[in-house]
Amino acid sequence: MTFRDLIKTSFGNLGRHKVRTVLSSVGVTVGIITIVAMVSLGIGVRHEMLGSFEALGLETLRVYPVTEERTAFDLFGEPPRKVLLTDELVDELRARDDVLKVQPNLNLPSTMKVGLEMDGQMVIVRPWQLQSGPDEPFVPETEFVTGEEPSLDTAVIAVNTYTLKELDIPQADYPALIGQEVTIVLGAPRGDSFRLPIKLAGIFDTHYGPNDRAVVVLGLPVRLEMLSWWHNSSDYLARRGYDSLLIRTTSLNDATQILDLLEAREFRVQSVKMMLDMVNRGMIVMETMLASVGGLALFVASIGIANTMVMAVYERTREIGVLKAVGASPADIRMLFVVESALIGLVGGVVGTVVGWLLGKGLDRLILAIMEWQDIQVQATFFVVTGGLVAAALGFATLVGLLAGLYPAARAARLDPLEALRHQ
Amino acid sequence: MNVSAICLNNLHRRYEMGDAYVDALRGVSLTVARGEFVALVGPSGSGKSTVLNLVGGLDRPTEGQIWVDGVELTGQDERGLTAHRRHRVGFVFQSFNLLPRLTALENVALPLMFSDVQEQQRLARAQVLLEQVGLGDRLNHLPTQLSGGEQQRVAIARALVAEPGLLLADEPTGNLDTATGGEIMAVLKVLNTGRDLTLLVVTHDPEVAAFADRIVRLRDGQVLEEGT
Repeated sequence: MTFRDLIKTSFGNLGRHKVRTVLSSVGVTVGIITIVAMVSLGIGVRHEMLGSFEALGLETLRVYPVTEERTAFDLFGEPPRKVLLTDELVDELRARDDVLKVQPNLNLPSTMKVGLEMDGQMVIVRPWQLQSGPDEPFVPETEFVTGEEPSLDTAVIAVNTYTLKELDIPQADYPALIGQEVTIVLGAPRGDSFRLPIKLAGIFDTHYGPNDRAVVVLGLPVRLEMLSWWHNSSDYLARRGYDSLLIRTTSLNDATQILDLLEAREFRVQSVKMMLDMVNRGMIVMETMLASVGGLALFVASIGIANTMVMAVYERTREIGVLKAVGASPADIRMLFVVESALIGLVGGVVGTVVGWLLGKGLDRLILAIMEWQDIQVQATFFVVTGGLVAAALGFATLVGLLAGLYPAARAARLDPLEALRHQ
Repeated sequence: MNVSAICLNNLHRRYEMGDAYVDALRGVSLTVARGEFVALVGPSGSGKSTVLNLVGGLDRPTEGQIWVDGVELTGQDERGLTAHRRHRVGFVFQSFNLLPRLTALENVALPLMFSDVQEQQRLARAQVLLEQVGLGDRLNHLPTQLSGGEQQRVAIARALVAEPGLLLADEPTGNLDTATGGEIMAVLKVLNTGRDLTLLVVTHDPEVAAFADRIVRLRDGQVLEEGT
């Protein structure tokens, strides 16, 4: 029998019992709807996440020094660092062709209380990182009301509008403040204090986040001076180095190379790529779990198909006898029933894929409508049906039908032609 | 090597039914020459249909040998018996056994599907045969739209489409009235003489047997007598 004859004959046979064929394929349809909906959700969410991670910059690395183990001598302080993030390292990295940007950072201790003095009034402020854009996507978006974003390499300060409100400075006076000198005041637990005059470079507003707190953005030289006083150390940078480096490379491949290089020098390196890989692994586990629900439905469906095919073999026993009498081999009979069974699976798969796709589209709209109603501005597609998913769903549905048909088909093939011809 | 159309040698067939058994054939020996028209007659249970089924490769003997066109069937596996049914013999049944969803043309073309003949060729050959049995105007009728005689003509055409040398007919007129039965037998006789087709027909109707060149009488699984 040619493949064309098989398909034509099988469709003809299925067409004789349309209702039974449809009912048998419903189980497959449900299973495939579940699989398509769940996996497309997984693909969609993964796609959105990948987009977000790419916005973070997959070429971005964060480098931290590794600290020695804590000993009795540094019980209350930070233990010494094995290798330091020095200016020499920063210069070395900046000199590389595959590095776009190196941003060193110094953290101020959380116990350090920082005051800002303007016109004889003082307010307690919180030092804050201000690096908008792809480098720091988690930092709230800021808008400079007056002045400009300070370069982190300069000894300047930027304050938020809340700070100025606390200091009772009217909004009309803001432009006049730019370029003026303000004073950072630090107090140590030992009793003495430190005053550091610096220039005000900008006034900003945060769209969300610490809009109800007085925050200031300090350039690195300011931070270094504050830390030097705090730790009573004139060579703080030489002794401790930077707390972290943010490195942006030209490509993902370069990021991997620099990651290996820095890890070889015993630095601790984090990359967005590593996080993405971890999230991806989690998502695949999640997708597999969700798809297994559909798999269970398909298993139940396969029993339904097997039942239908066993019934079909029983009903068509005489016909099988006739086919054998006119020259059909057991293999021909087996193929006829296997293909019929596989077609039931395929029909269910086609309907399931279409309905699953439509369901995804509908849920997408529903989710976006709910988000809009909740005033959450999101532009995303959560359910993404790819060509690969369609092919896999159809292939799987057909395979389920085919497997379900193996036993009935084998029974049909084994039928004794004479017995079959006598069957009423 | 025997070159007769059919040669049966000491054929036994025992059917087991639980603890009991029935001997349907008890040492049947028979030779049918090529182009010969032989009628197997006898009362019910005499074993005539069993002989037909054994010659057609639908059943296997318990003992004895069967040669068809010089090929011994007794040692054949399932593949060999399938090839035998596909190429060497054609069956005509009492109850026609046409597939109800297929048209007359498709029913006749059906056996060629298993020989991988292209659909166009299959249908062309089927049409020629249907025209030969006088159903050129009934090609696209379903079996339910045909009379008993017409259905049996379709069955005869189907039995001949693979061009076998041997036609086996089991009570071909059993479901037909006398006049139609006579017409069917006339068709078979024409095929027998015109195509040099060997015919083995099982019947208990003397009028049907009268068309044959030779009549073989069976009783209790044995050949009782042969005559014309």
